[in-house]
Amino acid sequence: MVAAQKFAAPAAQRPKNLFTGGDIHGDLVLDADVVIVGSGAGGATLAAELAEGGLDVVVLEEGGYYTTQAFTADASAAVRNLYRDGGATIAIGDPPVMYQEGRAVGGSTVVNGGMSWRTPEKILERWHHEAGLTGIRAKDMEPWFERVERRIHVRHQDPESIGVDNLILKEGADKKGWKVIPNLRNQVHCAGSNNCAFGCPTGAKQSALVSYVPRALHFGARLYSDVRVERITRHGKRATGVVGTVRGANGKRHRLAVRAKLVVSACGAIHTPALLARSGVRSPSGQLGGNLSLHPNTKVIAVFDRDVRGWEGVHQAFQVREFQDEGFLFAAVNIPPGIVAMTTRHLGAELGELMHDYDKMVIAGMLVEDSNVGRVRTINGSPQAFYQLSDFDADKLKRGVGLLSELLFAAGAKKILMPFEGVPDLHGPDDVHKIFSSTIPKRSIEVVTVHMMGTARMGRERDRSVTDDFGFVHDADRLAVCDASLFPTPIGVNPMETIMALATRTAAHILDDVRRYR
Amino acid sequence: MSTLDSEKFHAPKHVRRVLESLVAVVCPPEAVELGIEHEIVDHAEQTMGALPSLFRAGLIAGITAYDQASRVWPPSKGKASHDLPLAMRSRWYLAWLGGFTPVQREFAKAVKQVLVLGHYEHPKIQATLGYKPQQWIDKVKKRRLDVYSDEIAKHEASILAPDPLPRARARTDREVR
Repeated sequence: MVAAQKFAAPAAQRPKNLFTGGDIHGDLVLDADVVIVGSGAGGATLAAELAEGGLDVVVLEEGGYYTTQAFTADASAAVRNLYRDGGATIAIGDPPVMYQEGRAVGGSTVVNGGMSWRTPEKILERWHHEAGLTGIRAKDMEPWFERVERRIHVRHQDPESIGVDNLILKEGADKKGWKVIPNLRNQVHCAGSNNCAFGCPTGAKQSALVSYVPRALHFGARLYSDVRVERITRHGKRATGVVGTVRGANGKRHRLAVRAKLVVSACGAIHTPALLARSGVRSPSGQLGGNLSLHPNTKVIAVFDRDVRGWEGVHQAFQVREFQDEGFLFAAVNIPPGIVAMTTRHLGAELGELMHDYDKMVIAGMLVEDSNVGRVRTINGSPQAFYQLSDFDADKLKRGVGLLSELLFAAGAKKILMPFEGVPDLHGPDDVHKIFSSTIPKRSIEVVTVHMMGTARMGRERDRSVTDDFGFVHDADRLAVCDASLFPTPIGVNPMETIMALATRTAAHILDDVRRYR
Repeated sequence: MSTLDSEKFHAPKHVRRVLESLVAVVCPPEAVELGIEHEIVDHAEQTMGALPSLFRAGLIAGITAYDQASRVWPPSKGKASHDLPLAMRSRWYLAWLGGFTPVQREFAKAVKQVLVLGHYEHPKIQATLGYKPQQWIDKVKKRRLDVYSDEIAKHEASILAPDPLPRARARTDREVR
């Protein structure tokens, strides 16, 4: 078990312009053209584009700086270091939804699965028609997507990197005659180490950590890690900078302030509304923190009577898209044994017996495009998410689990463990009807997510949205948002590329008026 | 380094005692057979250290309450749960897992989760499953560099190559073309 202390990058491995808490020996005041809070998909992309465009950019990141060399198969150490609150963050509701956010230089891109999908055209049309956004339709977004895909090297997997669990998923889909497609991922010859969620140990995944962050630093941006931004400073409606604290050398806390001509919040759909709220920003729409959607996920564990060794090969090499119009997707996602054991109902010897077959398991998940929205409330300065799974989405989850089980039985599964408390394991396709015939209370569904969106949504009308077409906060000056908070609706696919494309679009908008920010 | 890591968490002694007594209840028998109960609890401590402080405080309070509440459970004859024989410890745990209140049930699940995570993250247990992910990572990492080093280097160079965003006029011109 790797000690957490071994995780941080030594000074010698740090690029120029990147400063960690250990470099800070006293209170610090910085001046910049632009200060960006957060270094994930939105923040890092924006920082790189603006720095190359000639602006003086400072990026502040709450998490630590870890290099590729630090990423190993030690999943626990990774979760403790790379995830906010050890991954134990919960949206309150019935059922509660456990969500995870990355907290490190590179943000959630360091721990995501590397799925790189453009926003579906029907979603962009919806944003154009319902939110009144301009320059957002597929043809408008094309150059931004192209640019992002070039930078993060979006490709299909090399065949040798695909493991048995994913081939089984594809086999099942093929037998059912369902549409299954190879996933597009941001990777350069991904080796299939199956460690995406714990930091890519080969550097193949083109997370912001190894793409946009080094690019931003190369073009002169400065990045400070271990900095918690407390609030945005304002003069009237005009944002003038941020203040926060950094745990400096010898563990002492120091104040850090940045004075800037443009302030950008890019700390994700949970923390952006909290940062704005504790800075006194109010939205006349009442939508700040509202409109939270989160693509509820659940999973099944299928046990086969052949070797699967799901940890050997990339995860999510394929997506089953047969039911995309109904709003759900399937994929195979291997997870380490400790996390599998945590999520089952088994105890003691019975748990041991189940886990004895860990090398024969296929773990498959589903993502639902949700129909309900929740809210992030700021309580004593900290965000708390509230989300109520709708009956409609609960039914979709049940239906999806049933269909996914049919697929896995078609591929030869012998037993499938359900994500519903009190529903027995399925032992064959004839058992699938049990899911549909039994009453499954919503509260018994195990729901998790990593896709939080919509809490500072874009829109033309200020009485219905928090930000304008380019993420600038309505009724504020020189204050913008650049993360998944901006999404007017859920998008039904993995959000990273959408966030990056919107950030690129925002960067172009800012650079078109660059003198205003110098 | 993130803030939580620099504050290494140590659970109070009585909390460790209760967790150690629960290892044999929730984890598979190998935990006791291999004598790794202390290491599982060490791991559980690390996990608890990464939790939000309110969550962690709730868990510690829950462990204390769980342990002491058994004293008023008639079969325990006034003993705290950690002092009970294994069969009774299991009954007491199952009583909480199927308890009347959601708080009891969620607490029992949370305790199980931190302990079985520690169990299955232990290298000896992973070896019994044939789960050796680091070996796999090392193997494919080498293969990637052997086969694709030229393309990798080319992409790495492109990360730092100039490629400024076209300004509005250039974008408009391109659209017109």
